[in-house]
Formats: sequence, structure tokens, C-alpha cells
Amino acid sequence: MTVTIMGLQKRLRWSGITLIIGLVVEAICLLWARPIAFIVLVCVGGLFCAAGIIMYLYSLVSAGEPTHSR
Amino acid sequence: MHFPTVLLLSLIFFSAVLIGVLVARPGLTTTRAGKILAFLVLFLLPLLCMAMGFSSELERSKSTSFCLSCHVMESHGRSLFVDDPSYLAAAHFQNHRIPADEACYTCHTNYAMFGGFRAKLNGLHHIYVQYLGKPHDPIRLYEPYNNRECLHCHLGARSFEEGAVHTADPDLLPAVKANKMSCLSSGCHDVVHNVDQLSKVKFWTGGK
Repeated sequence: MTVTIMGLQKRLRWSGITLIIGLVVEAICLLWARPIAFIVLVCVGGLFCAAGIIMYLYSLVSAGEPTHSR
Repeated sequence: MHFPTVLLLSLIFFSAVLIGVLVARPGLTTTRAGKILAFLVLFLLPLLCMAMGFSSELERSKSTSFCLSCHVMESHGRSLFVDDPSYLAAAHFQNHRIPADEACYTCHTNYAMFGGFRAKLNGLHHIYVQYLGKPHDPIRLYEPYNNRECLHCHLGARSFEEGAVHTADPDLLPAVKANKMSCLSSGCHDVVHNVDQLSKVKFWTGGK
């Protein structure tokens, strides 16, 4: 059980770090008034945020799975 | 900086701080309240931030300053300040016949169905050309300018419907409205940006 919680917390931590990167990219793009900012916002910021959210959702799904230990 | 942008940046900062708390102390998520907080912070807030950021960037892409931030558009931007009322773009811009902060978009979007979407696709193509391709020299329209874009504002306006030149020939207005006679290339309003003439004209400095 402890192993599961540790794994879950690790995934949540990675999810959070990925989301922070995505949000920082988005904030920079909002301050950076150049046409390329739109592309960076969607392709880089959007990718990191989507990855973070998917990681979080995966951590929720995987939290219910039983862990197999040898 | 616009207020919505400041608000969005504040939301992003707030979200990042809350996410940082969860990253530093993931143990918080073991409680019921922590789980709700995690759902809010790791799912709802980032989605909201991205949606608002996307919308904000789309709005900004309509601004005159956004269009003119590409080097290749500089001369078109200067043409808006020509001190000559026969320059169509300059006359519209300087007299606020179009919103000055969305001047390019107002005249160059497509007022047909899905016109806004097509304008965005063209915008993406412009970004591609700006960074990875080679712009046409001189810049030219993808297709001949459609009267529909002029009529979007001028149709029904008294100066348009009852103007002496427009009503002199009874066939003229029906032909213009049917896009059979171009407002621009038929010889009536054919001085638009004329960027190749900018070295010979005076500029209005009042609007800067």
C-alpha cells in the first residue's frame, strides 16, 4: 500500500512539474508580443499542459490498480 | 498591458503556486480535501489557463501591432500614415472608419461563412512564411479583393448608396454589389497601400 502511495505521489509530482513548465511557457508567450508566441503557446505550452493533465489522470486510474510485489 | 492579460497572468501565477505546493507536499492528496485540491489544481485550473491563453492569443492576432510586427509588413504599416486622402487604407485608418487597433484584420478578414476561421488559417500560413519560408516580394493577396469585404460596412450607408458618382450610372451599384465590378481594381479606389510610392509621399504624424 505504501509503495502504491509513493508511486502515486511521484506521478503527481511529475504531473505538477510538467504543468508548471507549461504554465510558465504560457506566461512568457503572453508577455512576448511576437507572432511566433502563438505557435510556442500552442505547441510547447499546450503540449506540456496536456502531458501534465494526462499524467495526473493516469495517476488517478493507476492508483486503483493492485500492486504486484515479488 | 491589457487588463484581461494581467488577470490571466495572475491566474497562471496562482495556479503555478498551488501546483508548487502539491509538488512540494504530495502527501496532501491523501486526504479528501487534498484530492479535491489536486483535481482543481492539476486538472481544472491548467485547462482554464490554456483555454484563456489560447483565446487571448487569438484576440491579439487581430491587432494591428501584431500584423505589423513582421518585418515584411512594415511598409504596409507606414502606408496607413500617408497624408493623402486618396490612399484608401490610410483614409480608413486615420479617420477611424475601421477600428485603428484592428485595422488589418477588419479589411483583410473574410466576411463569408467560416471567414474568421479562414483568416486564422491564412495567419498560420503567414507565420510559416515569416519564419520558414520566403514572402512574396511585393506582398500580394491570395485572391482578388472581394467587394463583400467593403460592403460589410458600406452597404446601406447613405454616402455609398446615394453618392453622386455611385448613382450617376444606374448599372454601377448593382454591378458593385454583385462583385462584377471591383471597388478597387476598376479604377475608382485603386490607390490602396501603394507601398512602392511611399518614398514620394508625405506622412501624417498626428496618430503616432
